[in-house]
Amino acid sequence: MASLMQSLKGSTPAWLTGRRLVIGLPYAWFLILALLPVLIVLKISLSEMQTTAVSGMVSWQGAWPQIKIDVSSYLFLAFDELYLLTYLSSIQYAFYTTVICLGLGYPFAYFMARAPKHWQALLLMLIMLPFWTSFLLRIYAWKTLLVNNGLINSALLALGWIDSPIEMLNTPFSLMLGMVYSYLPFMILPLYANLSKLDGRYLEAAADLGCHPFKTFWLITVPLSKAGIVAGCMLVFIPAVGEYVIPELLGGPNTLMIGRVLWDEFFSNNDWPMASAVTIVMLLLIMLPLTIYNKLQSEGRA
Amino acid sequence: MENASKSPLANEPLLRIEGVSKIYDGHIKAVDQVTLNVASGEIFALLGGSGCGKSTLLRMLAGFETPSQGRIYLGGTDITELPAYQRPINMMFQSYALFPHLSVSDNIAFGLRRDGMAKESIAERVEAMLKLVQLSQYGKRKPHQLSGGQQQRVALARSIAKQPKLLLLDEPLGALDKKLRVSTQIELVNIIEEVGVTCVLVTHDQEEAMTMATRMAVMSAGSFLQVGSPKDIYQQPNSRQVADFIGSVNIFDGLVKENHTDYVLVQCADALLRAPSNQACHLGMAVGVAIRPEKMALSRKKPTAKVNHVAGVVVEMAYFGAHTSYHVKLASGKVLQVQVQSQADEDNADLSWGDAVYASWGDSAMVLLTQ
Repeated sequence: MASLMQSLKGSTPAWLTGRRLVIGLPYAWFLILALLPVLIVLKISLSEMQTTAVSGMVSWQGAWPQIKIDVSSYLFLAFDELYLLTYLSSIQYAFYTTVICLGLGYPFAYFMARAPKHWQALLLMLIMLPFWTSFLLRIYAWKTLLVNNGLINSALLALGWIDSPIEMLNTPFSLMLGMVYSYLPFMILPLYANLSKLDGRYLEAAADLGCHPFKTFWLITVPLSKAGIVAGCMLVFIPAVGEYVIPELLGGPNTLMIGRVLWDEFFSNNDWPMASAVTIVMLLLIMLPLTIYNKLQSEGRA
Repeated sequence: MENASKSPLANEPLLRIEGVSKIYDGHIKAVDQVTLNVASGEIFALLGGSGCGKSTLLRMLAGFETPSQGRIYLGGTDITELPAYQRPINMMFQSYALFPHLSVSDNIAFGLRRDGMAKESIAERVEAMLKLVQLSQYGKRKPHQLSGGQQQRVALARSIAKQPKLLLLDEPLGALDKKLRVSTQIELVNIIEEVGVTCVLVTHDQEEAMTMATRMAVMSAGSFLQVGSPKDIYQQPNSRQVADFIGSVNIFDGLVKENHTDYVLVQCADALLRAPSNQACHLGMAVGVAIRPEKMALSRKKPTAKVNHVAGVVVEMAYFGAHTSYHVKLASGKVLQVQVQSQADEDNADLSWGDAVYASWGDSAMVLLTQ
């Protein structure tokens, strides 16, 4: 056994050992599966669409490479009001989703973190439980609940509380319901992780200095859980902006969300450069505020 | 003394703890029937090992725990049921619990703001507090930018900023390294005395209790073993446990051979001892006789007296500068600790491992322990 290990060790090239491997793998993963695709999308967005394929960016004129950059997609994006409105409406929906998730998730995470230890595991299980069922199935299930002759309307009609079914499906209401329902666990989990580590002595110290428990919550608990709030909001907001499935299934034809525009550009209009430009702009819209925030954070700490 | 306790209105102690117990899960007694008076201006130490109930008692004073039985009075007012945030008591926490997201100044101002004090007065008070703990330059820093000793001073400033009637200190120096601890002890006592606040502190370090406190209680298993001044407790421990806990001590086991009004003769395996009498002892009783190591003398010559000396062999010695510590093994196998001042040690300068010696001491060096 020892000699086998020895020979294995001997055959491994020097650059592929321990530390380098551990650090290198995630970087390689990131480069190949995240950065490279983004660069490809960027390239497509700056190309011209030919009938079935995207034109090459580099063409050869003798020995000289010619780089052709086509910014028409971006110009179109900038001057067509529809895209601007869609971006704004996507951000708006994502913002409301984040705020509602925070409002619902914070108390949930707070009481979960304060529950007796043996309860916490169970509550955590309950939050994770929906993940055992396919996301798509769960959204379809909402469809059957919300539809005019669905469970909720039938129940309300049977109880005599309403005379005619309430139009719920394919409205902003059903969209928001689906978004909040789907993203709530992503808000609760980082908040719970943060709040369960909150040192109880800070709360005691505040009480000792004459601070009422309600005030302590705002002055101590909330500021100290800022990292959890930021993490939760990012985990909800970023995917919510680009969400496609929920608006498609619950949002109805009139909800403007950038994910659906993307789909249309790619698969209905078959305009890949346009779709890619939409993607790149969306990426920038999300990344810029995050980068600025991170920079401010690190400066504030230094 | 008796009069004082019979007329509570005329001579009400600042803090009165009456038969307080804390019982967990119906039967675990963390604190068991503790009664204590602390007078205004005292620095009172609760001393004991971990799990003796000292911290639980302190937490009941702060209002973080409610007593299962008994009452607590502060300045004559019953505060047993008063929530922590309404008590005129402030605490300096064990590892300070400084709010990490607030600056040093904001930490100190936290309690003052809750009282709705005017902004200018708060700024003034914070300034004065920073000056008191010599951190005037550090008001804008965050706690994590300070050293351990500086954090300790901020914690102190925060806990006295509201001018509490009672200041609680939970292992105030526990988080500091040994060298810093000694200088901080004195500094801490100076500040407390300058402010003039009554203080109850909890510690497991007997040296800390002895240097800081004006009076102290030795705690074990939820109740007080002995309450008194550090000197009383050191010189006149009332039980083996207290004698053992406070400083080093040699205890001889023996039987009372003669019981006189002013002295008793105790027959031990290694010697006959003549100790000051104790009301609780009687003829033939099994007792312990405690002698502090520094109250013994060593000599090669056999002492002339018939009592209060033992013969043995030096098995260990260590030079500490100001004093030398010897371990002397007696015929019975008991190992005695003897501490000799270096100046007085000239006769024994050549004492070495394996030398036969006599350890001797005076009558008053002994304390008879009946429990």
